[in-house]
Amino acid sequence: MSDTAETVFYVYGIAPADIETDPESRGVGDPPARVTTVRQGELAALVSEIPHDKPLGRPEDLTAHAALLDAAAAEVPVLPLRFGAVVGSEDAVAEELLEANQDDFRAALDQLDGKAEYVIRGRYVEQAILDEILGENQELAGLREAIRGKPEDATRNERIALGEKINNAVAAKRENDTKKVTDALAPFEVQLSVREPTHEEDAVQLACLADLAQQSGIEEAVGELAREWEGRVTVRLLGPLAAYDFVITERPGE
Amino acid sequence: MTTAIQPSGGGGGGTGPSSSSLADVIDTILDKGLVIDAYVRVSLVGIELLTIDARVIVASVDTYLRFAEAVNRLDISDTGQKGLPDLIEDMNEGGSKAKTKGALEAAGDKLRDILGEDEHERSGQGRKGGD
Repeated sequence: MSDTAETVFYVYGIAPADIETDPESRGVGDPPARVTTVRQGELAALVSEIPHDKPLGRPEDLTAHAALLDAAAAEVPVLPLRFGAVVGSEDAVAEELLEANQDDFRAALDQLDGKAEYVIRGRYVEQAILDEILGENQELAGLREAIRGKPEDATRNERIALGEKINNAVAAKRENDTKKVTDALAPFEVQLSVREPTHEEDAVQLACLADLAQQSGIEEAVGELAREWEGRVTVRLLGPLAAYDFVITERPGE
Repeated sequence: MTTAIQPSGGGGGGTGPSSSSLADVIDTILDKGLVIDAYVRVSLVGIELLTIDARVIVASVDTYLRFAEAVNRLDISDTGQKGLPDLIEDMNEGGSKAKTKGALEAAGDKLRDILGEDEHERSGQGRKGGD
């Protein structure tokens, strides 16, 4: 380690000590920093030595962080750290992070052995879902008549009332459709975590922690739903990913 | 403090996994994963993080107005507003439902282009940034 004062250690995640990093692999920073490991006992931290005075958070930094962890998770168990974790020195990574929490991290890695996260994301096709909602609800169809072709300024209150009801109807659809996905995954007996929607037309955002061996079965089940919902919901399956939605830091008192 | 493997969620394609977009990544790595400051205190380094718009949506008046306008646009398409003869012709010729839908969608887009409306950009697109 050269300039302790000038550089710091960005930590991506924690894996078993026998993890190997490709010398070519690159992570956060501009230019992208080399990715190396800091080993201590049975654990390794995936790190990059980076300048301490350059801000992080460009799109490239975010995707590099995720891509590295996801690639690792497809091969070995890995505990992902939240984006932006930086420690002062290599020694501190080894001792303060790894050594001090050895038992804790090892137990968590054991639970992740052979598993990875998969995320199912569905987005409503706007026209289709609005047609569906209006077709099911006479009141909404009536409210629509009240604003038809009228200028936005003159019908603001009516628009807000209509829009709120539509929004609520979409939320109800989302709840039903999320249930459909969880039902479809029930035979796999996987841990599930329902994510909060991040777009008003999200149909489902669901993470599951599955055995890597279950991937093709999950692909098939999600594919079946995607076909059933064609033209109504755009469905995507992401993974294998690091288990972002399933690793938790439990602090006393929380 | 312990590190637990359990769901963290508050609420509780089809031809193989697709790759993560930037929006997917933002939804995943900013507020999930282990928190370093729970494990490292003495040697923790604060580094400047560029502002990243990570949020769980909160329904707002803007959302409602956008939905209302989307419904209003549907309505215009359904009734075939006058003044768009070419587009209406397309719609009438379209036999299958799927084709009709496509034409209606196109009509909506065209109309928005003509009106020069661009405020209906999805909030989600704003944070795609480099896409």
